[in-house]
Amino acid sequence: MLRRMLPALVVVAALGCAIFWWLTMPVTVAASSLPAYTPDTANGLTAFNAGGCSSCHAVPAQPDRLKLGGGLAMPSPFGTFHVPNISPDPADGIGRWTEAEFVTAVLKGTAPSGAHYFPAFPYGSYAITRVEDARDLFAYLKTLAPVSGKVRDHDVPFPFNVRRNVGIWKFLFMDDKPYQPDPARSAQWNRGAYLVDGLGHCAECHSPRNFLGGIVAAQRFAGGPNPEGEGWVPNITQKRLGEWSAKDIAYFLETGMTPEGDTAGGSMARVIRNTSQLSPGDRAAMAEYIKSLPPVEGPPRPKKAEKS
Amino acid sequence: MIMRTVVVVGTLLLGAGAVLAQQDAVKLAQDTMKANGRNMGTVLSPMFKGEKPYDQAAVDAALNQFEDTAKKLPTMFPASLKDAKWEGDFSPSPKVWEDKAGHDAKIASFAKVVAEAKAKIKDLDSLKANFPGIGKECSACHETYRLKKG
Repeated sequence: MLRRMLPALVVVAALGCAIFWWLTMPVTVAASSLPAYTPDTANGLTAFNAGGCSSCHAVPAQPDRLKLGGGLAMPSPFGTFHVPNISPDPADGIGRWTEAEFVTAVLKGTAPSGAHYFPAFPYGSYAITRVEDARDLFAYLKTLAPVSGKVRDHDVPFPFNVRRNVGIWKFLFMDDKPYQPDPARSAQWNRGAYLVDGLGHCAECHSPRNFLGGIVAAQRFAGGPNPEGEGWVPNITQKRLGEWSAKDIAYFLETGMTPEGDTAGGSMARVIRNTSQLSPGDRAAMAEYIKSLPPVEGPPRPKKAEKS
Repeated sequence: MIMRTVVVVGTLLLGAGAVLAQQDAVKLAQDTMKANGRNMGTVLSPMFKGEKPYDQAAVDAALNQFEDTAKKLPTMFPASLKDAKWEGDFSPSPKVWEDKAGHDAKIASFAKVVAEAKAKIKDLDSLKANFPGIGKECSACHETYRLKKG
């Protein structure tokens, strides 16, 4: 009996492996698919600020947000990620990357080596970005000063360190179609949605995640425990921000100040350093979109003592 | 016997006193920060945004309160507050005590910006030029030294 089933089992196992292999194949953007294009570094700067690149990639504990040597340690439930150098340094940064490799990294989450990046790099959001914006961003990054120094490898234990498995994560949680404007909404709202959902990657922190580290789609933007450890990331749907006007949200993105007079703290302070550099029009667009997010109840917050 | 009672009661009172002092210190920190927030949110921000007319007296009162905060801050988080109970949304990060030099530097920077603002803010234009700098100081310290609990 066993002898008769063995060949079938081998076939099933081989088929399983093949499906796994096929499902987890890293996606790339071919250089030949990119038409001739003259990049616009001014728009690249906008993409850089909207994308918050410097929040994670700037060298920590120094004031220059354009020094993109990386090195920030990013704790997570799956291990500690060490943010890489994305300065134009040819040896330690992205100086030798081709444009197609950069576009592939940002939009598909695939490294020049062909391996999957870990989703600590928020390509799940960046994926909807227009190819032109990514190309402009690449051109802008190339104008910055190279920073030498390679960043150490991630400290991620088995099984999460098997990069091929990230393909499954992408299959489950990533939708890499470009942004589709909603014709029923204004141009400003669509610009806001494009920035908030894409480059802004707001949902990456402001949403709860499941045990595989995927965003819980039904509670997108409804806040949750800080993925980096201590504390809580607030709900930014109208459940929590109902009392904020769109103007209040735009003002917060500019100055970090809430309508109550409090200021952004924690990682949001770094985010504000980027959004404060955007144009007032882009901030107003982001605000209009955030103001339109329907109220969603987030995960239960930790119990706290009654306010005195 | 009497002696022992005195010692025991005395120790208890001292202990209770320490806890009360700790809660007073927590309350002082929270009340000061809340007052700062009120000045930001109901006085300076609305003028900056053009929702309220410029009012020098209100600006002075707000800046004086920030100056007072800057004076209190160096002693506002004594080591005895490390294990205190913080009610409300926020608590100090342990880094306040682990990296005291860094925290002190932030306080000094805040004090400097407030002093400059006091000297410079005389009308709406100078408010617009100097007000964002104050908010940046608040945020720069809260980035590292404050935790959001919920």
